[in-house]
This record gives sequence, C-alpha cells and structure tokens, in this order.
Amino acid sequence: MTPVEATLLLIEDDPQTRRFLRMTLLAQSWQVIEAESGKLGLDHAKTQNPDLVILDLGLPDMDGVSVVRALRQVSEVPVLILSARSQEKDKIQSLDAGADDYLTKPFGTGELEARIRALLRRTARSGAGRDLFQNGALRVDCLSRKVHLAEREIHLTPIEFRLLSILVRQAGLVVTQKQLLREVWGAAHAEDSHYLRVYMGQLRHKLEADPARPRYLLTELGVGYRLAASEPIADDHPNSRRSGNLTQPV
Amino acid sequence: MPDNVVRNIRHLYTIFTRDAVDCLRVGSPIAGIHDPSHPINSTTHNWQVITTSESLPDPPFPKYLGYLGGVVVPTLCTLINWPLRNHVGPTSILLVYLLGVFLVATRFGRGPSVFTCLMSAMAFAYFFAPPLFSLAIADTENLAGLAVMLLVALVTSKLMDSVRSQAAIATHRERRATVLYGLSCELAQARQEEEIAEIAVRHIQAAFGSPNTLLLPDDQGQLIRPPADSSPKTLVDMDWESAQWTFDQGAAAGKALDTQVESDTMLFPLLGAAGTTGVLVMGHPDPQRRLVSEQRNFLETFLNLIAQSLERVKLAEQARRSSIRVETEALRNALLSAISHDLKTPLTTIVGASGTLAEKDASLEPEDRRVLSRAIQEEAQRMFDLINKILDMARLVAGSLHLDREWSALEEIVAGAMGRLEQSLKNRPVNIQLPDTVPLIHVDAVLIQQVLINLLDNAAKYSPAASPIDISASVTPDALQLSIADHGPGVPPEAADQVFEKFFRLHPESTPGGVGLGLAISRAIIEAHGGLIGVQNRLGGGAIFSLTIPLDEAPPLPAPEEQTGYPA
Repeated sequence: MTPVEATLLLIEDDPQTRRFLRMTLLAQSWQVIEAESGKLGLDHAKTQNPDLVILDLGLPDMDGVSVVRALRQVSEVPVLILSARSQEKDKIQSLDAGADDYLTKPFGTGELEARIRALLRRTARSGAGRDLFQNGALRVDCLSRKVHLAEREIHLTPIEFRLLSILVRQAGLVVTQKQLLREVWGAAHAEDSHYLRVYMGQLRHKLEADPARPRYLLTELGVGYRLAASEPIADDHPNSRRSGNLTQPV
Repeated sequence: MPDNVVRNIRHLYTIFTRDAVDCLRVGSPIAGIHDPSHPINSTTHNWQVITTSESLPDPPFPKYLGYLGGVVVPTLCTLINWPLRNHVGPTSILLVYLLGVFLVATRFGRGPSVFTCLMSAMAFAYFFAPPLFSLAIADTENLAGLAVMLLVALVTSKLMDSVRSQAAIATHRERRATVLYGLSCELAQARQEEEIAEIAVRHIQAAFGSPNTLLLPDDQGQLIRPPADSSPKTLVDMDWESAQWTFDQGAAAGKALDTQVESDTMLFPLLGAAGTTGVLVMGHPDPQRRLVSEQRNFLETFLNLIAQSLERVKLAEQARRSSIRVETEALRNALLSAISHDLKTPLTTIVGASGTLAEKDASLEPEDRRVLSRAIQEEAQRMFDLINKILDMARLVAGSLHLDREWSALEEIVAGAMGRLEQSLKNRPVNIQLPDTVPLIHVDAVLIQQVLINLLDNAAKYSPAASPIDISASVTPDALQLSIADHGPGVPPEAADQVFEKFFRLHPESTPGGVGLGLAISRAIIEAHGGLIGVQNRLGGGAIFSLTIPLDEAPPLPAPEEQTGYPA
C-alpha cells in the first residue's frame, strides 16, 4: 500500500458531513468506505481491513471512546478523530484509549488531508525510516542518539532525548501528555504534568530559535505535544501543516 | 469562655441585687412592688422549669438559719437589754427586740421573722414586762408594743420577699434577654437555611434542654425528610403526617399541648409574615407534661426569631434569583440582537454566494467562482468565531465555568495563542518578552489562552495595521503579571472599567468590532482564577491590557537527571 491508494473508513452519522468528506477524500484518490453508526463502522473495520479510520466522536449509538477501544481490540489501524468543541474530554480519552490524532470541527480540507497523510506515512515507514527524522534544520537520529540543528550537534539529557524520540516516532501526530508521562516517568507519574512542562521547556529552549513561537515542538494545550513533520508531498501552502494545527479552535 | 463571662455577670448581678435589698432595708419602698396582679410566684416557679439544665443561684441563707436566728437574736437582745433594765423603760427595751426582729425579717422572710417575734415577745414578757419571770403581761402599753413588733415583722418580711422575687424576676429576664440576644446575634449572621436550622436547634437544646429538629419545606411546600441513616433521634417516633399538618395549618401539635393531633413529640410551626417557614420538632423529657404558658411564650419568641431569619434568608435568595433572572433576561435580549445583527451579516454573504455557485455555476468565470467560495469560507469562519464567543458567554453566565487547572508553562500558552492568531497577526511584529524565571502556573491553560487570544485579537483589530504589539511578563513572589500593549488609540480612562462589561463597545458602529464579549469573557476567566485584569493607556499612545494571576507554590520536581543516573 502507498498513501495514494489507501482505503479509508469514514464513521460519521451526519449525511452532509459524510458527503463533503467523501468528495474531499475521493479527490485525493483514496478509497472511501462509509458507515453511519459506530456498530456498522466496527463491522466494516473487521471485514474490510481499511488502512485508516476517520471517526466522528458524536455518534448516536456509541460514544467515541468505546468505538476506539473496540477497534483497538481487533486492529492497530490508525484512527483519526473528528470532535466538536464540546467534546474535549472525550477527545483526550479517545487519544489515551489508542486513537492516533484528532481534528476539531470545523476544519479545513487541507488540514484533514495533511493528517491523513501523516498517519498513513507512519504506517508505511519501515523500521529504519522511523528512527530518522528530518524537518527543516532539525535532524534526529534515534539509533545513534544524535540531534542536529543545522549541522550543529545539540546535547540532550536522557529524559529530553526520551521525550523527543517518542515525538519522532509519532512525527506529525499528537501525543497526549499522559502517554508521554507514562512512557518516560512511568504510570505512577501519569498525572504529573509539571514534569512534562519543565522538560519540554528545556527541550524547546535547546531546539527552537524562538521558544515562544516554536517551529518543531508544538503544544496542543490541554491535549499534548506534536512534533511538526515536513510534508514530503508538494502542497499548495507550504506552511499549511503548522497553520492547520494551530488555527483550529480549541 | 463566654459561659464564664455570663456567670461572672450573673454573680455581679446577684451582688448588686443584694445591695438593692440593703438599700431597701433602710426603708424606701418601690412602686409596684406589691402589685398583686403580677404572678410573682408562678414566674419564679416557671423559671425553675425552664432552666432545669442549670441550677438556681442559692437563696441568701437557708431557711433553718432563720429559725436559728429566731432563737439567737432574741437571746442577744435579752443579753443587751438585761443590764439596761433599770435605766430605760420597757418601750426602749421593746425597741431593741424590734430591731432584732427587723433584722431577721429583712434576711429570712416571714416564717423566721414571726418566730423571732414570738420568741422576742416571750423573752420580753418573761424578763422585762411586769410581772417579771412570768409570761403574763400586765401593762396594756407593752401589749400594744408587742403587737406593733409583730406587725413590723410581717410587713418587713413581706416587703423583703417581694424584693427578692423582683430581683429573681429581673435575673431571670436578664438571662432570657442574654439567651435571646445570643440567638439573634448568631441568626443575624446566618446566610443559609441550613445554618439557621443548625443554630436554632443548638440554642433550643441549650435553653429548653429538649432534643429538637428543624424541618424545612422544599419548593413545593413538602417538608424535606432527612435521609433515613442520618435521621436525628427526635424524628424516630415522629408522625410525618402530623408534621405536614402543622406546616400546612400553621398550628402547633402534640400530646403535651392542647391540640387534637396526637403526637408523642411536640410540633411547632415557624410562622413568618408570608406563611409557615418550617416546623420545629421538639422531643420532651416527659411526654405527658404540658408546656407551662410562660415557657411556651419564651419558646414562641424563639420561634419568631427563627421564622424571621428563615424568611430573611429566603427573601435574600429570591432577590438574588430574580436579579440573576433579570441579568439573564438582559443577556438573552442582547444575545438575540447580537445574533440577529452580527450573524445575519455573514449569513447573507454565505447564502448569496453559495446560491450563485449552486444555480449559476455554468455561467461563472473560474475567478468569480474562487472569489465566491473564498467569501463563503471567510464568512463561515467569522460566524464560527462569533458563535464560540456567544457560547462561551452563555456558559460563563450560567455559572458553569469549570476550571481544568493544570501546571502550565506560560511560554506554551503564549505560543498557542500566537499560533491560533497566525492569520490576523500576519505582517505584524509581535515582541514577546518572557523572563526565563517565569514559574509554572496552576491554571486552565486553554482558558488563559482564550484570554490571550481575545486580547491579541483586540490589539490587532484596534491598532494600525503594521504597528507592533508587545507581550511581556513579570514575576513577583506571589503573582505573575502579563501585559499586552498596542499602539492603537487606547481606552479613555472613564471607560477603563466599562470595556470589560458584556456587550460594551467603545465605538459601536466601527467596522472591525465584534459583539463586545471578548473582554467580558476574559475578565470572567481571569477572575475565576483569582486574578485581576485591567487596562491602562501607555505613554505615547496605545492600550496596555494587564492580567495578574496569583502564583501557587510549585509542586516538587524530579531530582536533576545527572544525579538520578537515568539510563541513557
């Protein structure tokens, strides 16, 4: 499979939204399977083997968190969540339950396509590809544990490197703060968000020219962090990845 | 502590009344002291009933001492008189006895004084009145003297009894006044029905020695039943129907009272000006005993005070609710007008442009199509922002603002706000000065970001296109201050408070404005965090919006890595 030929499962109950999404996705020559309920969506996910699931959180028959949990029991398929502004809690719970990224409604089609591509890319990447990250001046090699910023080697503490490597693994995708805390400090510290603030701050000051306007280490307030990934596919707006992340309402 | 004080005051009072008695002993009768209509005896008796929990102050001297005095005093008088018997006449001798009788009468009441009088008479008759050493009295004048002595004994003792009763009544009234004062002081400070109930129960228990419970009605006029497991003892044998009857009828009930309703406990309605405000359930140490009227009156006073307090709290609550209603109503009207005006404008564009696209697609140039769809996108975004603001405001007014506090980095919040405003801050220099020493803040980061977005958005809207915006922060030991300064026209000093009010706009007709909610939302968010927000004008023109957020003590951080030896 390449990102271009992927099959996407769209679980969304509103027919108008479904129609607009189908049009957008088909225009990128992705295959689209539609489901208007959580139950139907889960059936399709089991039988049709999609490459990615787009899941609306506000389904009439099941809440999004349950759908994500049920999905995760049968497959590792990437899940992109569509949430309304009033579903903050569900959104974070779904991400912690195993969803891979989210978009807050209303969103532009550019953002949607970029997220889908980032997710598909992660699945497609081979082991070696996963360990190497490059965006602009920032280069991270997880194998040799080296970080370079425009040819200059940056020295990170073990924890800083650990955080960065988790973000590299999920480049372009949001990683919830609970996931980061669990992986770096262990489950006992899953609520100690201040650990994360301090070390992410240190990391930002080492990697960003202007930490108050970061290029790479992006904060999703209340959710987690995202490492901005470069877009290999030519895009109309070179900056759309970043603006896409940040102009959507919280 | 206050108990001691009260006891001391009471003690002082006792001393004082004794002094008054001493004054009276010199003989200045007080008007009304013999008022037969005053139920002196019953009052004294009731007082004892009411204060079963506390013992009475002892009478000045025990009764038997009086009778002992009745023996000792005449003996002393006889001893004094004996050497004088040959120098003075029987009248003078009688006067000495009279003095003795008078002294006993002032101290010990009627019985001992009459007894002293008789003893004195016998001593006088035996030792001094001819025939000597016999109880017989020959002289009529001496007989008259003895009669006067008896009369003096009776009158004086009666007088002193009255004085003592009056003093007792005064003490008793003063005690009641103290109790009522204590109750009313506490009630005056109560702000909630539950508080009043607690105070009332405690004071009634203290004053009447009976366990009791206050039942309050719900909005439908049904008495609220406490949960079974926490039900007070008083309510165990209480009949709820009777309690509800008492509440509905506004009449007391209970076996111990003269009412038709049979109930083991006593039920008293709390009667306020606008109806019954609750029911007092009172257990009685002796269920068969009826409340004496005096005690009942005292209880009524209690109940009146409590009922009034309940009514006051209820009215205050009603006033608060109705002021919220008025505010909500005003907000709804303002929202409606905002929606009708500010939402209709973009909607008109959307409907028009999309209609053209849908119906005249074939005849449109590609350029026109792009212009129309771009207009739809922009106007839809504007509507979305507006709806978000209106929803935010509705949420804040509804009082459902819930803070999801977390340790947050100011840098991340500022970065978040900057990112969200990338479009509107395009081509505009923004200077961000955050000291490296800014500590973590314990806030709802998303809401604080919303405040920054509102302030930055305003700065961008109301200042010249390419003029810079400055964001700066400073830290004091207990607060973080963040300022956002622009080079716009500033805010007139007289409007510095008003700009934070809902729907207030400095220039209502100007084009870039919104609905006038952004600053009101910002203030609500900052105040919910215990902080302050304000605006000043900067030297050389422009507005500086500053917000202050109190700093909490930061939580402990993991030990520095070098020491933990974390595996690399």
